[in-house]
Order: sequence, then structure tokens, then C-alpha cells
Amino acid sequence: MATSAATSFLSRGSSGNNSNMRGLVQFIADLRNARARELEEKRINKELANIRYTRKAHFLMGLQGCLLTVIADGSLSGYHKKKYVCKLLYIYILGWNVDFGHLEAVNLISANKYSEKQIGYLAMTLFLHESHELLHLVVNSIRKDLTDHNELFNCLALHAIANVGSREMGEALSGEVHRLLISPTSKPFVKKKAALTLLRLYRKHPDIVQPQWAERIIALMDDVDMGVALSVTSLVMALAQDNPEQYKGSYVKAASRMKRILVDGEFAPDYLYYKVPCPWIQVKMLRLLQYFPPSEDTHVRDLIRESLQKILNLALEMPKNVQQNNAQNAVLFEAINLIIHLDTEQALMSQISTRLGKFIQSRETNVRYLGLEAMTHLAARAETLDPIKQHQSIIIGSLKDRDISVRRKGLDLLYSMCDSTNAQPIVGELLHYLQNADFAIREEMVLKIAILTEKYATDIQWYVDISLRLIAMAGDHVSDEVWHRVIQIVTNNEQLQVYAAQNILQYVKADHCHETLVKIGGYLLGEFGHLIAEDKGCSPIEQFLALQGKLQGCSSSTRAIILSSFIKFVNLFPEIKPRLMYVFQAYSHTLDSELQQRACEYLALASLPTDDLLRTVCDEMPPFPERQSALLSRLHQKHANTSDKRTWIVGGKDANANEKDMVKNPGLNRTLSTNGNGVPNGATNGTNGHAKVANDLAGLDMMDAGPSEPKTLKQPNLASTAHLSPGWEIGYNKLLLKGEGILYEDGQIQVGVRSEYRGQMACVILYFSNKAPVAVSSFTTTLDLDASEKGNLTWEVKGLPESTISQGSQSQQMIMFTAQNVFDKSPTIRISYLAGALQALTLKLPVTIHKFMDAAELTAEDFFKRWNQIGGAPREEQRVFGIKGSNREFNDSFIRKTVQGFRWGVLDGVDKNQKNFVGASVLHIGGGRKFGCLLRLEPNYAKQMIRLTIRATDESVPATMINLMEQRLAVGQSTQPEVFQPPTMREMSNVFGNVLVT
Amino acid sequence: MPIKSYLILLSRQGKVRLAKWFTTLSPKEKAKIIKDVSQLVLARRTRMCNFLEYKDSKIVYRRYASLFFIAGCNSTDNELITLEIVHRYVEQMDKYYGNVCEVSHHMPAACTRMLILGQLDIVCCRPQPFLISSSKSIQIFNFQKAYFILDELLLAGEMQESSKKNVLRVISAQDSIEDTEVDEEVTRIM
Repeated sequence: MATSAATSFLSRGSSGNNSNMRGLVQFIADLRNARARELEEKRINKELANIRYTRKAHFLMGLQGCLLTVIADGSLSGYHKKKYVCKLLYIYILGWNVDFGHLEAVNLISANKYSEKQIGYLAMTLFLHESHELLHLVVNSIRKDLTDHNELFNCLALHAIANVGSREMGEALSGEVHRLLISPTSKPFVKKKAALTLLRLYRKHPDIVQPQWAERIIALMDDVDMGVALSVTSLVMALAQDNPEQYKGSYVKAASRMKRILVDGEFAPDYLYYKVPCPWIQVKMLRLLQYFPPSEDTHVRDLIRESLQKILNLALEMPKNVQQNNAQNAVLFEAINLIIHLDTEQALMSQISTRLGKFIQSRETNVRYLGLEAMTHLAARAETLDPIKQHQSIIIGSLKDRDISVRRKGLDLLYSMCDSTNAQPIVGELLHYLQNADFAIREEMVLKIAILTEKYATDIQWYVDISLRLIAMAGDHVSDEVWHRVIQIVTNNEQLQVYAAQNILQYVKADHCHETLVKIGGYLLGEFGHLIAEDKGCSPIEQFLALQGKLQGCSSSTRAIILSSFIKFVNLFPEIKPRLMYVFQAYSHTLDSELQQRACEYLALASLPTDDLLRTVCDEMPPFPERQSALLSRLHQKHANTSDKRTWIVGGKDANANEKDMVKNPGLNRTLSTNGNGVPNGATNGTNGHAKVANDLAGLDMMDAGPSEPKTLKQPNLASTAHLSPGWEIGYNKLLLKGEGILYEDGQIQVGVRSEYRGQMACVILYFSNKAPVAVSSFTTTLDLDASEKGNLTWEVKGLPESTISQGSQSQQMIMFTAQNVFDKSPTIRISYLAGALQALTLKLPVTIHKFMDAAELTAEDFFKRWNQIGGAPREEQRVFGIKGSNREFNDSFIRKTVQGFRWGVLDGVDKNQKNFVGASVLHIGGGRKFGCLLRLEPNYAKQMIRLTIRATDESVPATMINLMEQRLAVGQSTQPEVFQPPTMREMSNVFGNVLVT
Repeated sequence: MPIKSYLILLSRQGKVRLAKWFTTLSPKEKAKIIKDVSQLVLARRTRMCNFLEYKDSKIVYRRYASLFFIAGCNSTDNELITLEIVHRYVEQMDKYYGNVCEVSHHMPAACTRMLILGQLDIVCCRPQPFLISSSKSIQIFNFQKAYFILDELLLAGEMQESSKKNVLRVISAQDSIEDTEVDEEVTRIM
């Protein structure tokens, strides 16, 4: 009925609706057909005038309607508004300025109709930027949509925030967004949007994401819905880069999820992208793993190794189409990056170096590009450059690739793979290529050549030759740092000075000489010209003429340098003083105030009756102080401005070892200044150009302060003893004396323990049973131990519990502990899982020092002999204590059971007093060490007191042991039969925990 | 700068068909980027790689018929996977508009595909029906759908959903609401 009505309605040509719709169609068609920009403009202006007119009419109509409180026309006007806004949007997209209609657009957001709302939101995200004043008006509408029961409305609101969300919007709405992310009732398609919206808000204002959200957000990485897992991983990636400690739980999650996807094939068929299982999530997880240092846990390492090997194997498959090829390679190259990052997987490493060799020769340009990039990463990390060096000729060949993107990567790699053995050929090739290189990369090339030349110069002549040739060839692309650096190096290396002066003079003498070389010439001849004055063709007058010949064609700053050299010549070569004075006189009338001042000052200086002052001023320059090279700063500055954490930078291993300083090279003496300030003007104190240059250059140091400072929010360690869950001690105390039993139980979960001790090793198996009426997911365990015990007790996790435990089933985890030393505190475990909301427990594991003891049998004679050998303190500890609590007592069987539970061998008939207990045991700890332990317990049943004495062959044992035993013994045994106690509130809430919504 | 900072659809003549910004930029900055990036990309020849360096960022682009899809991303980002995000977007629209076309039975699917992949560019991917036989076809020329599909695929510059079906499901849900609303409206007007 509706359809036919629509048909007949719409087919009426005169109908408002239809003409509008046609109008939009016609409008778009006209614009598309408009060949010239002017025609398009004409059509748009016509339409804009049209819209303005109708808009006004409707606005008035709306107003009247309001006054009359008749909303009969409301829907029509909404529909019209929608159409107008659409037209405006289309005009806007074409790049025309639309300065009205914004308010109408924004008003559509609060419409009740989805289609109007949707257009309103689209207009908002296109028209308004994040600080637009109209956005304040919509915050409440957005909030309303976020809390609406209709998920599609939630989505619209989330899109809006993700597109234009600002800091203010984040502060107002992040709570709602977070709620949608974690609420058990949120649909997956809402959750994933909420995750990415939160990411946007986090980027705008990091404080929006609160530290206590971390555990819950990480748990979502296990979500069965791959879209949710993908989005949450993106969020976690951003969070983990800034707070690695807080989000370290994501490491194991990523490793195990990746293994489940790749090895166990755990994904919905829809997520297979051209035969590659969800490449997006793979790439994200591989990248996330690079944000953390490699795991020390062998089990996690195994998981990662297995996945990586699988990726390498899958990549061998011949792709059927471009998409499969790209997806496969996207994952492969990310895996290669991870392998390089891990740096421990020798087998995988050798596989990838052979493959990389093939990639850089690939016929596919993309693969060549990525191969070169990955190899640059390898060069940044690898111990040896040999696997790369064998491809040197191919890499040099890539400088001639027809694609500039490839050429750039080739340049990066050549720069990174350079060392003292191949510097000369590589620099030679780079210089050769520089002549034909694109303008876009010349400056970077010059910088890189200059750095390599300095870094690997073993031959002083080579350094001077290359540097001067470089400047001669690429003069215009040489930044100031480069030629400052040359001067610094020459000044600081006496053996270079003569050779450099000779060479630069030859350059300056030539008819065509780049101005930068003239600057260097001016400075070097002024300082070291006298060293070569005796040589043929280098006499003072020839040096003077060479420089004077360049005076006319140079800029003011170069002339200033030449004038400074001339005053030095006055000091060095008095024989040509008249000619120098003539130049000063000429320049003392120049219009350039800087030059004029110099000329006047120099003239006065040279005309003084004695040359004492002249000599002092023109004294030899002292060596430059050693500082970081400005060249490297300059180069790194180019790469500093990214928020995504780079896990490596272009450059060799030492560039990545945070050693921005150049490696000490015995060939060259690098006591230099960073700024190179005042190099050209060094001898001319008091001229006003000096300070300016220094300031300009000072800015180059800035990049040392990284773009974003890591946040140092103190994060509570939820797995530590400080956060033990109430009720932990019941199971723990029971298990102190037993090898197996239930550690913890509530309405949702039961944690069982089985353990076996052999020598210093303990094998503990934890059983987790799901008692909740639904499956629990994202099951996570984290072990922790007090920092003071680190090294005393170590462990290796042999497996992880299943991520999802279905109703009524069980999962287990095996952990091997090793007692390396006597330890005092037990390890703790954090167990968290999703059963609707996030549930988490922290329990203490019953792994204590006495568990590593074995009962021993001794005769009375042996016992007392050893007892006496050990003697008193510090290898003895004694306590006297009574019963704690009422209705409890000590008795013979209780004490015997407890002492045996503590793994003492009870020696009957050794003590003269039959009531006393005497025990012996051997404690095993790391390195095969064994400590003998002896015990004597004297009970006084009448007074209900105990005197306990422990002696051991090592003084670390008695105190720890006696604490443990005292705590346990003092509890005693109940004198009354067990009575039924009504369930406590806690037990009640446990039982109903999964029913009640909190 | 987020992983992905913009997505621009550019015709071979250099006209912008769709621009989506994932970072906050002033209109001036946007115009500058569009100008620079258009120049760089239009100058590329075939068989060159799909990546370009532009200032501190990286451009990943691909040409579909006469339309360039250009994604601006972080220089550390995985290039190939970004390229496939673009492809997934194209496929997604192909699938969406293709399906709609089958409903109207007036244009063979292959034809639509061509339309989408460049002939008519993105803004009017849905073919103009000759007969108004279903309420769906009221939405002709809805360029805005291209944005809505993009929002389902990418949010905050990150891939949100790689399953074609899931995206399509949400978009169809949107469509059916819209259809009901239009039907209601028409009925009321009548």
C-alpha cells in the first residue's frame, strides 16, 4: 500500500517532494556535466540562491507553525531540510565555500527520524571543525543519542564524536563512550565503534582514559567478535605506547590470540581476506608486540615463534591475485619487523635475510620498496651487516630505479649499511648519483654523505676531497651545518690543515666556484693560509687575488667572511698590507652597514701604531669544544614528528643505541661545537651579525626533547599482595600443609591447586573451573612477586589457561617454580575474566620455603651432635607463644600433624621429655645447595604455651621458617565440634553474583 | 598524527570526489594537502609503487579506473595493509550498490561495477532507476552513502570491521529504517 502510494505520489510531477528529488538529481547531473569551472560556479550560485530563498520561506513557515503550535507541517519541513542540506553538502564536497545552513544542519541532529538525524550528523562532521562554536549546542543531543536504546542512534553519536570529538566533548562524553565499550549488553558493532571513539578522544586528551580502565580494556582483546578485537587492539596500541607498564598484559593477549588465529584457525570464515586470516588484526598484533621488549617467558616466546613461522610458511604460497599478494606481504613484512625486533630468533632471522635478498630484486615495485625498508630496519638492529653487504651492488642499483619512492629507500639503506669497510665505494656512488638526483632529496643526500664521510674517514685526504667535491657539486643544497662542520673538523685536526688549505685555494682560484666554497676558502685561508704560503702558486698575493676575485659576485655574508680573512692576512702577510688596506678603505664607504662597520673596524685595527692588538685578535682559533654533530640533529629532526612510536630509526646500529654522537673515529678529532656558531665570524668580535647567526643555529638542537613525553602515571599493580581478594587466606592456609586442594571458591569460579616438589623445583598446576551459568571469556592470569624477592624465587609458565571456559568446564595452567634462595614472601596471582562484567581476584599461591624441604631421619646421637654444631644465634631462632582466639587449644595430635605438614621428619624418642617434638629436614635451593634444618618444640599443655626453636646450617632459614610455623601453630585446633554457620553476606553475593546486575 | 590521517578520492582531472579527514586541520591546511597530494599522485606513472613520501607522512594510493583513492598515513604505518583498506572500501561499495542494482533489475551488475569504479565516480554510484518500482529507489544519487559506508569501515582513522557481511548488515539496517520512515511520510502526506 505504502509503495503504491509512494509511486503515484512521486509520479506526480508537480509534487513538492518529487521536484526536490529531481532537483537534487538534476543538480548533481548538471554539475557533473559542467566541463569548465565557471559553468559549475554558475550552476552552484543559481542553486545557492534558490536554497537561500526556499530556506527562508520554510524557516518562516516553521516559525509560524511553532506559534500556532501546529506541527502538521513539521515532517515535511524536516524532509525538505534534509534535501537542502544534502545539496549544500554536495556543493561543499566539490570544494565550494558554504557559509550558511550550518544551523539547519545541526538542528537535524535532534530530529526523531533516523534519516534526518543521519544527514544532520554527516553535515556536522563535514561542516564543523572541532572547535566550532555550534558544537557546544549539540553535546546534549549527542549524549541523548549515546544513551538511546536504539543502537543505530548510539552509532551515529559515536561516529560524530570519532569524527569531530574535541577535548571538551571528550570531557563531557567519555564516560558514556566507555560505558558503551564495556557494557555486557552492548552489541559488538557498538563496542567496536566505542573503542575507536575512545581512541580519538585519547589522542585529543590522554587524561580521559583512566588508569583503572586498563585491565578491562585489555580483556576486550579476547572478544570473540573479530571486529571488536581489531578495534580494541588499535586502542590498546595507542595506550600501550604511552603506558607500557600499565598495558603490559596486552603482550600475552596479542601473542596468544595471534597463535589462535594463525595456528588453530580460530576465526569466522567472513574474516578470511583473500585466503589470509584477518590480515588487519595480524598486522596490529605484530606491531603491538614490537612496542614491548621481547618477553622473557619461554611459553610466550614459543607462541610467538610458532605464529611467525606459520606466517613465513604461508607467505611461500603463490598468491592468486593482487589482494592476496598484498595481504600476505603486509603480514609478512610486519612479521619480519617483529623478528628483527626480537633479535633472538636465529632460525627465523636467517630465513628472512635470504628472503629480503630476493625482495629487493623483485619485479614488483611495492616489494622492492618494502624489501629495502625492511633491510634498513635490519641494518639498524643487526649485529653484523654482512648479510646486507652481499647485496651491495643491487642496493646501489636501486638508486637508479625509475620510482623516486624506491630511490629514497635505497638511499636510506645505503646510509644505514655503511661502515668503515665500504664507506669509500658507497660515498663514491652517492656522490655520483647526486648529480642526477631529484631536487626533493638532494639536501638529505648531502647531509647523509657529509655524515658518512666524517664518520668513516680513515684517510684525511679522502675526507677533504669528498667534502669539498660534495659542496662543489651540490652547492645550493648544502645546508649551513655542512660547511660549518667541515671548518670545525679542519680546525680541530692539525694534519688536515695544509691539505685542506691547498685544495680550497685551487677551488677558489677557479673561474666558477660555488659561494659556499668561497666561504670555506675565506675562513680556511685566513686561518691556515700561512702554512702553504711557501708553496708554488700559493703565495700570499695569489691567495689574496683569489679571494678578491670572488668579492664582487658574492652575497653580503660571504663578503663579510672575506673581509675577516683579510684582516687575518694583515697579521700573517705584512708584505701585502697596502693592498688589503685599499680593500678596507673601499668597503668603509659601502651602503651595507654590516660590511661598512667591519671595514672601518679593520681599518682602524690595522692602522694602530703597534700590532699588539692585531696579533691578539687574530690569534689562531682554539679547537672547537666537543658536542653533538649538528648534522645528525638536522637529519633526525626530519623524522622526529610522528606520534606513532618508531621502534627504530634510519641509520646503523649505533644510531639506534641512543648514541646520537658519532662513534669515536681514530682518524678524525671531533672536538667540535654543535651549533657551529660564530665559525665564519669567529675572529670578528663585536660585529652585529654574530649573535644573530648563533641564535638561528641554536634552534637546531631542539629535537633532543622528544615530541611527546612519556607519561609517568603511577599505576597500581593489581596482581600484588596489596590487592589480595577477601577470603584468600582460607584456601591458602589449608594448602600450606597439603600438596593439593581448593585454593579459592566462589559462586562463579573454583581455583584448585596440585603441586609436586622435587629438590629446588616445584611443579604447580592450577585448575580453574567455571561454576557460573554462562561461559566466561578473556580468562587471564598474571603472576607477581614482591620486588624484594626477585631472584629468590623464579618461575616459568608452561602454558596459559584457555581464554574461554565454557559453563561447567575446567582449564589449567602449569607453572614451574625454582627456589633460588631462601624466600620469605609467596607469589601472588591475578585472575581476571569476563562474565558479563569484569571479575578479578588476586590470590596468594601456597608456594612457601618449607615446601622445598624433605623430612630427614636422624638418630638421637646424630641429632644432638648437629644441634650443638650449629649452635645459637644467628643460626638459631626461638619463639614462645600461646594460643590465639578462644575455644581453641594445642594438643599432641594437632602439633604432630602441623609439624609433619611443614615437612619435618618427626624424630620420636630422641628428646628425653616425651612430650617434646624434635624434627629434622633438608632444604633444597638453587644451585644444588642443601641446608640442614633442625627443630625442637616444647609444648606446655597446662598453660597452652609453646616454645619453638629452629636451627639451620644457614642463617637465612630459621627466622623465615619460624614465622611461618608460629602463624600456623598459634591458631590451634577447635575444642568444639564444627557448627553450621549461616552464609555470610559475601557468600550470598558470590552465589548470586552472576544473577544480580551490579 | 593518527595512523591514517585522511582519505581522498580524486578524479583523474584532479577533482575531489570525497575527502575524509581523521585529524583536525584548518581549511587552509586541507587545501594545501589536497593540492600537493593531487600533484604528486597525478604525476605518478603506472608500474610505480603505491607509496609516496610527503613531508613527514606517507601517501598510499591506488587507481581504480579514472579514480584515485589516496590515503595519508603515518610514515611508520604498514603500507600494504593500508592499501588493502582502500580496496576493502571499494569492494564494500561495489557490493552495496551492486546489490541495490539487482533489486531494481535494470542494470546488469557488471555495469554498475564499472560505474562505481570510475565512470561516474563515487558521488552517483547508484544507477538511476527508470521505473520507481520500490521505495528503495527514492534514494537516488545518495553520495552520502559513500560516507556512511566509510564510517562503518574506518573510524578515527583505524580499520573498524573487515567483514564485508557485517558492514553490509549495518548499512541495510540503516536503509530499512530510512525506507520505513519515507513510507510513513508518504502515507501521511497522502
